[in-house]
Amino acid sequence: MLCYKAWRESQTRFVLSALTIAGLCVLFVLFQNEARTGFDGGPPTYVGYIWRIVYKGYVRELYVLLVLLLGVGGLVRERAYGTAGFTLALPVSRWRLVAARAVIGLSQAAILSLLPALVIPVLSPFVQESYPWTQAIQFSLLWTVGGTLVFAMAFLASVIFGGEYSAPVVAFVVLLVYSAIADMPMLDRFDIHDMMSGTGTPYFRLDASLITGPLPWMAIAVILLVSCCMFVLAGRITQAQDF
Amino acid sequence: MLWYKAWLESRTRFLITAGTLAMFCLFVVLFQNQIQARGSPIPSGLRGHVYSEHIYNLIYSGTAKGIFSILVIFLGLGGLLRERAHGTATFTLALPASRLRLLTAQIGVGLSEMAVLALVPVLLIPGISPLVHQSYPMSQAFQFSILWFGCGTIIFAMAFLLSVLIGGEYTAPVACFILLFLHTVIALWRPLRPYRLNMFWTMGGVGMMHWGLQNTLVLSGPLPWARLLTIALTSIALLAIAAKVAQRQDF
Repeated sequence: MLCYKAWRESQTRFVLSALTIAGLCVLFVLFQNEARTGFDGGPPTYVGYIWRIVYKGYVRELYVLLVLLLGVGGLVRERAYGTAGFTLALPVSRWRLVAARAVIGLSQAAILSLLPALVIPVLSPFVQESYPWTQAIQFSLLWTVGGTLVFAMAFLASVIFGGEYSAPVVAFVVLLVYSAIADMPMLDRFDIHDMMSGTGTPYFRLDASLITGPLPWMAIAVILLVSCCMFVLAGRITQAQDF
Repeated sequence: MLWYKAWLESRTRFLITAGTLAMFCLFVVLFQNQIQARGSPIPSGLRGHVYSEHIYNLIYSGTAKGIFSILVIFLGLGGLLRERAHGTATFTLALPASRLRLLTAQIGVGLSEMAVLALVPVLLIPGISPLVHQSYPMSQAFQFSILWFGCGTIIFAMAFLLSVLIGGEYTAPVACFILLFLHTVIALWRPLRPYRLNMFWTMGGVGMMHWGLQNTLVLSGPLPWARLLTIALTSIALLAIAAKVAQRQDF
């Protein structure tokens, strides 16, 4: 029931996001002929085009921002609405409330990351092209991991900052600072933007626009661990808050 | 008093946004040597290692422009629907002021805040560039501020309209983000390309830059006043629609 509550609170944002990401993927596939002619340096291959416009470009950036907005909400906002008392009166611990919201949000982020993998390989034959399923699934996995960190940032911000829209603004600023710091030489292996697109990584071949090497499991593990820590911190803070 | 109320409701978002923009401008200016030494790919048409180009690449055509555009969405979220969710709409509507006055105050404060944000690079970049033995023309910075403010009005107006139409707390910013992205995709459609509908191009002076005296990257010729006027009229129309809708809503 808690998961259903969390779903109802975020369903509109999720459905809008899903329709947009899926819709953009459909558009980019169906109009690939025309779109490919607009690139500097001549039209890329179909695989290169999909990488540049979906996995590196527009759709990836939109995914990051939409996942950030999926992460906000929670009990602090319910306090502003006056419904926190009802929610806290439910016979469940605050940990379960936090966990339910986190699980639903992460599931939504994972589904959003899977949409390009579902749409692009299926629709490509309709335009006499093909995109490998394995590539799409690997990019989905990388997006899910990157999305988990972004979601966790927004989730933690929503627990700390109660002001209206303060949480998403702060989360966005934190994401920006993270992006700047992750560009530094020793930390660039933890740059989720590059990880999600493969840019400049050992497992991605730029000339073919394909993931060819093993995924960065160590970096993935570290990012998931950091995300977990953020969720735990959010839970601890929620437990200690006075509503 | 209505203006003060609108300011109190939006000041946290405004201050965070202004602080972020200011910090980013400071970072770009004070660490310009380190940033350029990193050897990032130089966009086509630029020469690299020129200060004015560094400022243009990161501030006026780059990250700072993105920060401004995205955070203006949150400044534009207003209307009375969210007050209904909080249970304060009846108190607000009981004030001896028309709904139009209430919304005008929100819009006025929001646009003023946006103007201040657009001026942050003007205030900082020409002022602190001498600290790193560089200079940036104030006139250039001011022209870019006009472009940012002009294009920002439509983002603001769209966010305001969506927050009046859509009731969910975060649904309006999600919808606005999506429309912001979609417009860049639509602008790429071949029949529409000659009209340069991508607002970010206008904000960044894309296609309007040239190399001036002393190897400085500057805006060419006059600003696109016709385009800015069109954007302003469109924004006014969107805000007028928002006001009409809010006047008819039942709280």
